[in-house]
Amino acid sequence: MPPLGHYLVLSAILFAIGSAGVFIRRNVITILLSIEIMLNAVNLSFVAFGRAWGTADGQIIVFFVMTVAAAEAAVGLAIVISLFRQRESLNPDMFTALKW
Amino acid sequence: MTPLLIGQIVLTLFVFVMLLNSAAVMVYVERKVAALLQQRLGPWRVGPRGLLQPLADIVKLMFKEELRPRAADAFLFALAPMIAATCAFAAFAVVPFGAETTLFGWIPEGLRLQVADVNVAILVVFAIGSMSVYGIVLAGWSSNSKYSLLGGLRSSAQMISYELSYGLALATVLLLGNSLSLTEIVNRQAGTWLGFIPRWNIFFVPVGFIAFLIYMTAGIAETNRAPFDFPEAEQELVAGYHTEYSSMTFAMFFMAEYINMVTVSAVATDLFLGGWHGPLLPESLGWIWFLLKVAALLFFYVWMRWTLPRYRYDQLMRFGWKFLLPVAVVNLLATAAVVLYFGL
Amino acid sequence: MASFYLLGTIAVVASLLVIAQRNPIYSVLLLIASFGALSGLYVLLEAPFAAVIQIIVYAGAIMVLFLFVVMLLNAPHEETEHDLRLHPLVRHGPMGFGVVLALILVVELALALAGSRPDRFGSAAATSVRSIGRALFTDYAFPFEATSVLILVAMVGAVVLARREPR
Repeated sequence: MPPLGHYLVLSAILFAIGSAGVFIRRNVITILLSIEIMLNAVNLSFVAFGRAWGTADGQIIVFFVMTVAAAEAAVGLAIVISLFRQRESLNPDMFTALKW
Repeated sequence: MTPLLIGQIVLTLFVFVMLLNSAAVMVYVERKVAALLQQRLGPWRVGPRGLLQPLADIVKLMFKEELRPRAADAFLFALAPMIAATCAFAAFAVVPFGAETTLFGWIPEGLRLQVADVNVAILVVFAIGSMSVYGIVLAGWSSNSKYSLLGGLRSSAQMISYELSYGLALATVLLLGNSLSLTEIVNRQAGTWLGFIPRWNIFFVPVGFIAFLIYMTAGIAETNRAPFDFPEAEQELVAGYHTEYSSMTFAMFFMAEYINMVTVSAVATDLFLGGWHGPLLPESLGWIWFLLKVAALLFFYVWMRWTLPRYRYDQLMRFGWKFLLPVAVVNLLATAAVVLYFGL
Repeated sequence: MASFYLLGTIAVVASLLVIAQRNPIYSVLLLIASFGALSGLYVLLEAPFAAVIQIIVYAGAIMVLFLFVVMLLNAPHEETEHDLRLHPLVRHGPMGFGVVLALILVVELALALAGSRPDRFGSAAATSVRSIGRALFTDYAFPFEATSVLILVAMVGAVVLARREPR
C-alpha cells in the first residue's frame, strides 16, 4: 500500500490542476468543472487521512463535501443559465458591469 | 489455479453468456406474449412455432448497414451504445442467483453464485444504474438530430427522476434486511411465518408490499419500458434516442434494455421475493426458484407493456415527483417506525 | 501499488484534459473518467461507501446536471478570433500567469506534504457503513440536518433562478 504522502501529493496535483483551470479558462462551465476537481482533490485527502487514523470521520466529511458540492453545482448552473439568457455568452469577461 | 478460481472464472463467463441468451429469449417472449394478448399467433414460421425468431432477428441485424450521420460526433456516436451495454451487463455482476454450492464436493470452500460479492451490493447496483443514463443522453446528443436530442434529454430526465423513488425503495429494504449485502438480505428471507407464509419482504405488509410496488414502478421507468416509454415511442419521436442507429449498435441498445429489465427483475427477486428460497426444493437447487421468480417478473413487465396505455411525458414526470416520491418517503418512515417498534 | 499509480495517472491525465479541452462536452466526459479513477482510489483506501457514493452523487447526478446544461445552452466555443491561434493553456498575459501560479502551487504543496514523515498506513479497523451511519446520526447529527436544509434551499434556489420570467 503506498504511503500516505503519495496520496497527499496526488491530491495536491489535482488541486493545482483545478485551480489552474479556474485561472485559465474563459468559459463559466469549465470554471465550475475546475471547482469540482478541486473539491474532489480535497475529498481524496480526507479519505486518505481517515484511513491513516482508522476512523470513519474521513468518509463522513466526504459525505458532507459531496452534498455541499451538489448544492453548489445546482445553484451555480442555474445562475449560468440565467446569465446566458441575458448575454448569449458563457465568457465571464462579458459580465463586467459591476467593475469600476 | 485452485478449483475455486476456475469455478469463479467459469461462473463469470456463464453469467455473461446467460445474459446474452436472456436478451434473445426476451425478444421471443415479448413478441409471443404480445401476440397472445392481442389474440393472434405471433412468430410462427421461423422454426417450430417460431422459436428460432430471435436467431432470425440477430442475423438480420448483423447484415444491415452501419450508418452514421455525417454531422454526428463520431467518437460519442460510437461510445454511447458501448456505455449502455456495459452498464447493463455490469449491474448484474453483484446479483446473487443461488445458494453457495460446492459443485458436488469439487470446490470445498463453496462457490458463491455471484460474480462479485461486495458488502455494499445494493449501492453498486444503484450506482451502475445511474451511469447508464449517459449511454442514452450521449446517444441523443451525438446523433445531431432533433428527434434524438429530444428523446435523449427526456429519457434521461425521466431516468434520474425515478432514481429517487428507486433509491428510497431500496432504503426501505435496507431497513428490513439490516444489511447492504444482497446475499445477507436474501438469507434473512429464509423460513416461514406461521408455517406456510414465506418470510419474503413482499409479504411484510403493508410496508414491504408498498416498497415492492414502488420498486417495480420505478424499475419500469428506469428501463424506459411502457407505460413509461414515451421518449422512445414510435408514434411520438420516431424512435427517440436511437433513431439514427442501425444494425449492431441498435442491437446493443435493444440488448441493453432487455438486460436492464432482467437485472431489475433479478434484484427485485433478491430483495422482495426471497431470492432462491422456496418450498419443496433443497438449497442447492434454489436457482430453479430464482429463475421461476425472475421469469414471473419479466412476464409482468411484458404484460404491463401490452396492456396499459402510455403516459404522456408531463404526466410521467408529475407522477414520479408528486406521487411516487412522497409515497416512497412516507413508506420509508413507516418502515423505520415498524422496525423500531417491533425491534427487528 | 501498481493500481494506485494507474488510477492516479488516469485521474491526473483526465483532469489535465478537462481544463485543456475546447469542447465542454468532452470536458464533462473526461471529468467523469477522472471521478471513476478517484472512486477506484477510494476502494484502494478501503472506503467502499465513499467510492460508491462518489459514483452515485458525483458521476451519476452532478455530471448529468452539467451535461444537461451544456446541451441545453448549446454554447458556442469560448474564444474570439484573436485567441483561437494559441491553445488556452499557453497564452500570454493573465492566463500564462495562471499556469505559472498553478505550477508553483503544486511544487510547494508537494514539497510540504511529502517532505514530512512518510507514514505507512497501519492496519486500521475496517469502517463499515453501519459505523458511518451511526456516527452520522449521533456525533454529526447537526451538520446532517443542516445539509438537508441546505439541499432544500438549493433546490428552491435553482428552480427560481433558472425560471423564465412570464411575459
